[in-house]
Amino acid sequence: MLRIENLCKSYGKFRAVNDLNLHIPKGEIFGFVGPNGAGKTTTMRIICGLLDATSGKVYADGIDVIDRPKELKRKIGYMPDFFGVYDDLKVMEYLEFYASIYNIKGADSRKICQDLLELVDLTDKKDFYVDSLSRGMKQRLCLARSLVHNPELLILDEPASGMDPRARIEMKEILRTLKSMGKTILVSSHILPELAELCTAIGIIEKGRVVMSGTVDEITRKVYHTQTIRIKVIDRLEEAIRVLQEYPDIDGINPVGDNEVEASFNGDEVFMNALLVRLIQNNIPVTAFNQLDGNLEDIFMKVTATGEVEQ
Amino acid sequence: MSANTQKRYFRINPVLLKELKVRMRSWKAAILIGTYNFVLLLLTIFIMKLTMNNDIGAPTQATIFGTYAFLVAAQFGLITLIAPALTAGAISGEREKQTLDILLSTTLNHRSIITGKLFSSLSQIILLLVSSIPVFSIIFLYGGIGLVQLLQVYLFFILIAVTLGSIGIFFSTFIKKSTAANVLTYAVVVFLYLGTILISVFYVQLVIMPNYTNSQYEGTFWVFNLNPAVALISLVMDQFQEGGGRVFQGLTLTVQQGKLHLWHINAIFNAGLSVVLLFLSALKLNPVKRKWLGRGKK
Repeated sequence: MLRIENLCKSYGKFRAVNDLNLHIPKGEIFGFVGPNGAGKTTTMRIICGLLDATSGKVYADGIDVIDRPKELKRKIGYMPDFFGVYDDLKVMEYLEFYASIYNIKGADSRKICQDLLELVDLTDKKDFYVDSLSRGMKQRLCLARSLVHNPELLILDEPASGMDPRARIEMKEILRTLKSMGKTILVSSHILPELAELCTAIGIIEKGRVVMSGTVDEITRKVYHTQTIRIKVIDRLEEAIRVLQEYPDIDGINPVGDNEVEASFNGDEVFMNALLVRLIQNNIPVTAFNQLDGNLEDIFMKVTATGEVEQ
Repeated sequence: MSANTQKRYFRINPVLLKELKVRMRSWKAAILIGTYNFVLLLLTIFIMKLTMNNDIGAPTQATIFGTYAFLVAAQFGLITLIAPALTAGAISGEREKQTLDILLSTTLNHRSIITGKLFSSLSQIILLLVSSIPVFSIIFLYGGIGLVQLLQVYLFFILIAVTLGSIGIFFSTFIKKSTAANVLTYAVVVFLYLGTILISVFYVQLVIMPNYTNSQYEGTFWVFNLNPAVALISLVMDQFQEGGGRVFQGLTLTVQQGKLHLWHINAIFNAGLSVVLLFLSALKLNPVKRKWLGRGKK
């Protein structure tokens, strides 16, 4: 859906985006992670045709952002990190104004805007002036605004920034709904655990380059080279540890409390299955056997500290 | 013409529509129209009282001319004050409110944003002009002024409003802060109204006049053609077939340059200036200029 090739953006001698490459398949929620000034917003603005790239190509659904900007803008819905609203318009009028830009008028416009207000849970606010809405509501309204022309690709720059926990959870639910509707979403956020939970893939960007990308699991493996499983037993923990020690691929065993143990290993799901079977065959009363997700914050700190670009 | 093309052809600029809705329903619009007409009415009563006290019986040609010229000048002065104020914050205001990026990320054409903003301001000025017709038509009581003359003056007003509005839009696009855009817009307006006169007078006195020691310089120095106020005087004098003649060295209002009067040249200049300023504004507003500059070509 979105393909970025060798994208560069320079401001004088400073390179905000440096040879950035990215591919986001259709229907994916892609999390854009990076420290402040890494080039996330610059990249997003170039994708939306708000900024001129120094070099490189951006294609959305095969459409070049430079050659066919108007066509591209029909496919993209953009929500900037900082945005304002027309405080002298009412909520419904605000959406209808943007609908009219895409030549959606009359009954069609009213229907679409009502549906969108329902999606973002603002139906009861439709006759309120935009200015009277809370920050979280304005964020949701802006998201609804970006959907008014039914775009295939959503570019959301820090959509949950400044929101309280409840509003963040609601925003996450809306994004999940949008994914189920088949939208492709590129979302940047500083709240990493949320991204890990929400996104099908993430890209870590630093100094204008994507230093690592893939699913959270893939990145965890790339960063730590091992995976961790946590095993919980009713009793006989020592016996369980003895079984684990028989496997040379398990390079770390760390008891956690009286009846739990964490084992880091270098292997795949087949290995994990074999290990579980072995524990059961040894009559060890296993009650839980689960793989631990990589901690995105740790991964982020590790990757951005080394600044290595994946090969 | 296909249905789609027809739909596109008759499409009203969404920015214009939104601006009109917002501007016209607020109290500000009513207050502006009320104040404008109130000031104009006071001025009209003032000039009527002044002229009627002096005239016994039918008004003289001089009285009619004086009253008409005064009303035209008053209306012109008000437009000069209002037009830049309505436009100088149009784009910079969007930038300050952080709504410009969202607007630019839509399919809306950059030219549409510029023209939408200009014409919404202009429509407010036209509304002021139309609403002032009853006050202005007092001049018909005197006779001697036809509809054609009034129409000519009103069209000139609209052209001046477009020019001043374009200057406002231009600075609003190029300057980030509305306050700075307002200051620069009024600075250019002052230059057009006063600066051109000062430059002309000094140039004529210091450079041209030394060559006319034994004769009078009967021409009009070209910089005067840029001055809207001078052009308006030229138009009103033209309507009354008043001589006007040489106001001072270097400014002779009745002299035709080719077949054009001073106000003709000024109108052409204003129209040209507006087109250039609006074009540059639209160009500046377009964030992706590679196509324009040919850099995007493979």
